[in-house]
Amino acid sequence: MLLLVGAVLAGCGAAPVAQTWPGLTVDGGTVYVISGAPQQVYMLDAETGQQQGTFLPAGEQQGVVYWSPVAVGPDAAYVGFGIGESQNGFSALYAFDPETGQELWSAPAESLIIDAPVYAGGTVYFGDSAGNLYAIDAENGTRQWSFQAEDAIWASALVVDARVYVAAMDHYLYCLDADGGQELWKQKLDGAMAAPPGLAEAEGILYIGNFDGRVYALDAESGEVAEGFEFQAENWIWSEVVVEDEQLYVTALDGKLYALNAADGTAIEPFPYDAGSPLRASPVLAGDSIVVASEEGRVVAVNGESAMAGWEWPGGAPEAGVLTTPVISDGVVFVVLMNGKVQTLDAESGTQGWTFEPPGGE
Amino acid sequence: MGITDIWTVGILQPMLNALLGFYSLLGDQFWLAIIVFTVIIRGLMTPLMLPQQRSAKKMQELQPQLQALQKKYGKDREKLAQEQMKLYREAGVNPMGGCLPMLVQFPIWIGLYQSIIQALGYQPLQLMNLSQNIYPWMQDLLGIWSAVPLNRYFLGMDLALNPNQMGGLTYALPILVAFTSWIQTKMTTPAGAGGDGQAASMGQSMTLMMPLMFGFFSLSFSAGLSFYFIVSNVIGIITQGFISGWEGLMFWKGLSLSNLMPGGAKAAPGQSSGQQASATSQKGTQSGSKKKRKKRRRKR
Repeated sequence: MLLLVGAVLAGCGAAPVAQTWPGLTVDGGTVYVISGAPQQVYMLDAETGQQQGTFLPAGEQQGVVYWSPVAVGPDAAYVGFGIGESQNGFSALYAFDPETGQELWSAPAESLIIDAPVYAGGTVYFGDSAGNLYAIDAENGTRQWSFQAEDAIWASALVVDARVYVAAMDHYLYCLDADGGQELWKQKLDGAMAAPPGLAEAEGILYIGNFDGRVYALDAESGEVAEGFEFQAENWIWSEVVVEDEQLYVTALDGKLYALNAADGTAIEPFPYDAGSPLRASPVLAGDSIVVASEEGRVVAVNGESAMAGWEWPGGAPEAGVLTTPVISDGVVFVVLMNGKVQTLDAESGTQGWTFEPPGGE
Repeated sequence: MGITDIWTVGILQPMLNALLGFYSLLGDQFWLAIIVFTVIIRGLMTPLMLPQQRSAKKMQELQPQLQALQKKYGKDREKLAQEQMKLYREAGVNPMGGCLPMLVQFPIWIGLYQSIIQALGYQPLQLMNLSQNIYPWMQDLLGIWSAVPLNRYFLGMDLALNPNQMGGLTYALPILVAFTSWIQTKMTTPAGAGGDGQAASMGQSMTLMMPLMFGFFSLSFSAGLSFYFIVSNVIGIITQGFISGWEGLMFWKGLSLSNLMPGGAKAAPGQSSGQQASATSQKGTQSGSKKKRKKRRRKR
């Protein structure tokens, strides 16, 4: 009896593994993927999939337990790492040389860095789970300013015209001055947000998906919620809203890809497309198609007119699902599965290209 | 439908949604939701727990007879076992009755652990899972989607983290888990249960080892689960107190290392271990008086 109780109790107390998905970034002919065992940044040649280098904080013995996707600036790449567990663990943003994988500097954070940092005009912006938004000098890692939200910041910031728009889990969308971090406006919505807003630049409208299942439209200048815009999905929206002319594309955890009218949020027929499994990853535009990747691991190019599946990659299922937003670059779709495997697909036909499996991956 | 789906639909989702419902109805206080949830779980388990608690009381009442059997058939173990079983049967006591409630609690612990981890998710994948396990009508009825992320804090503690992650005063949690568990086990385990030395020693081992194990593993439990154990134990102590009296609660009486250790001092028939010390001391006094009387006789 004691052994049985012990086994059950041990199971209840098992140390949690990192509860996130692999990061994937493609920039300047290099693919940055965070996976493997131990977890680290792999830099791959985007054309061939050949490993060019890796990055792991120097001398780190405790191991990476959490990571953000990589952001790339003109002189460096940036990644957030959570190092070590328990009270001795810490989080920091690391800058490294993408050519050599050499660490350049690190900037401490109060808590885990969930989404990708953003490089804009010599500054790197990133949020953490303690609700801080940091602005860091991309040159040397010096903190320029920080801003405190009321709850975690899981979404990347959107930096446009000297303004930083950042959504937080406290239900607020904040607009800050990019230079000093002063709050210009904030708007409380009905649920938490974990993805950055999409911006219709010409109209000056921000669109953001929310855990209450709705998409909101806000005036980028004042933060006022646009009247007459209404859309409600059947589960949370964790995806970025993709703005294309007068249409919006958004995926939801109800497994559907929606096309909406940008003016009032009405669903455009014959959408939605039902993927049959939760869609965490944001939709990606590929010519006339919209590429979506589902939790069960399928990658589908959905025709923008008919809302029918074009090519379809059966994916890692049951090997692994896809929660990371695919990246399209030079006619190639890059997909990373939950087990860290990277697969390339031709954006037109869905034909498989190279595959990268991280050493020691799950 | 696989075993995972059956578990999710049958155990995890009902527990998770109940917790979320209480959370929403109790002013967004997760610790309150855990208390109410625990009271309800204990209430639902009463039909299982009550016979076990009554059986514990009966076992205590049977101790004099068990001791008598021990004396009578001490050398013939087979006969002793037969007579003990006969006695149990006649008294309507199942000596293994305590195992069933324990076994029934396993899926509840695991389900509750998973529910707490999901409900208080502070990493993306946990919230992803949460989104798939909330009943749609919970959103329609209570607007539960807007309550995410839940308020995880109680007295400055993050209920989703464990003491090893938080440090400081949160190490009091495993101590409280072990302590309340020890008290409860002491109240439900009849002193000297089983009569013979081996069974009594096993009983005492359980009384000590089980709480220690709970305390040790609580170091790596989320504080929310430890909170559940403490509340559940306190309810168990109160219920047992009403059924079989509060003597077991007087843990400080006769508290000594020898009483704690397996195979230590054994209780006199029908006495709780709290009474052991006084029984031993009385015995000592009695034997002391006998010696004095003998001395007086010699003097005469």
